Amino acid sequence: MHIPDGFLSPQTYLPAYALAAGGWAYATRELRRRVDETLLPRLAVLTALAFVLMTVMLPLPGGTSVHASGIGILAVVFGPWLTFAVVSLVLLLQALVLGAGGVTVLPVNALAMGLGGSVAACLGYRLLAPRWERAGLFAAGWLAAVVPAALVAVVLGLQPAIAHTSDGQPLFFPFGLSVTLPAVLIPHAILGLGEGLLTVLVVSFLRRR
Amino acid sequence: MKDRLLLLGYAIAVVAATSVHNPWWLAGGLLVVAALAGRQAPTIGWRALRAVLFFNLVISIGYAAGALFGQAVSLDYLILVNTRVYLLIFLTFSLASKIDILRALSFSRNLSYLVTLVLSQIIPFRRLFEDLRLAAESRRLRRLRLRERYLQSAAAAVHLFDRAEHDAREIALAMRSRGFFQPEATDNAPGD
Repeated sequence: MHIPDGFLSPQTYLPAYALAAGGWAYATRELRRRVDETLLPRLAVLTALAFVLMTVMLPLPGGTSVHASGIGILAVVFGPWLTFAVVSLVLLLQALVLGAGGVTVLPVNALAMGLGGSVAACLGYRLLAPRWERAGLFAAGWLAAVVPAALVAVVLGLQPAIAHTSDGQPLFFPFGLSVTLPAVLIPHAILGLGEGLLTVLVVSFLRRR
Repeated sequence: MKDRLLLLGYAIAVVAATSVHNPWWLAGGLLVVAALAGRQAPTIGWRALRAVLFFNLVISIGYAAGALFGQAVSLDYLILVNTRVYLLIFLTFSLASKIDILRALSFSRNLSYLVTLVLSQIIPFRRLFEDLRLAAESRRLRRLRLRERYLQSAAAAVHLFDRAEHDAREIALAMRSRGFFQPEATDNAPGD
């Protein structure tokens, strides 16, 4: 999930930029160490792929659908650092070219979706895959949906405590953790089932060939 | 240079908009940004309104509903947060309409190459994905079951992965043949 612009305080997004900058620097170094001269085109094409994967519809019962994130798939296939770099670039382009998301929320969204989601997906996969490959893939997709949602819910839920007036009125996002955690986590825990299923299918198809 | 200055001005305006907590100042800022947008202001304003409407309505109604449960609810907060969000989205859409993103990112050679490649790849990928969707749509005689729709989405994603691998190899070859990977050309990191 994305946080829209304007609901995060500078006390949140400025340190988040510092943290994300460290992550981007490490990701760049890690990728340059592992990948040869195809890094640049590979990163570009995967970013475009992630951009489009985020428009793949996740079918829901009753004929409706929502957008998939594709983070679980990218994390299992390419690892967390490449996924972090790619998702950050997608978010940057969405913010600057399409005007979606926004620059104040970019580092939090990148850290939550790109890093938190992909690390959780990889850990879940590595934990389960040696014995139950499909369960590992499913866990990767589910965690890639739920962990970013949990991180985003925590960041949003802390806003009233971080930034408020002298009489306690919020200045940015108005709801505390008691509201954000269930409101964000419950739908994502359910949508994560679809993301998990899509991860199982896509990665299994990819490995079968 | 103009695009870099626009990007810098945008970053400063964004930090300012989130550091000011007086709705009148924010409304004044909105008027300035609208004036700078010129004739595009109504179009940008409408787009921005559509972009923020759903989320802000949910948040505002949820917050106002707190009054029903005896919570302290402030009209000032609702005006402040809605004005700020609208200003930020208006700013972003104004920037998107004025800036050449490739020139703005030209301070890093590799980053601007990267963004050029990404933007050039997104369009064919989207077209391919839409073609696959339409092809599947045109071949079905009945409404697909949930399982079939998952299989269809997965097959499309796998095809996109294949295409991505192929395109990455082709672009790398094209870049190598044009001398992009000469030692002196790769001194900047992709994300620097």
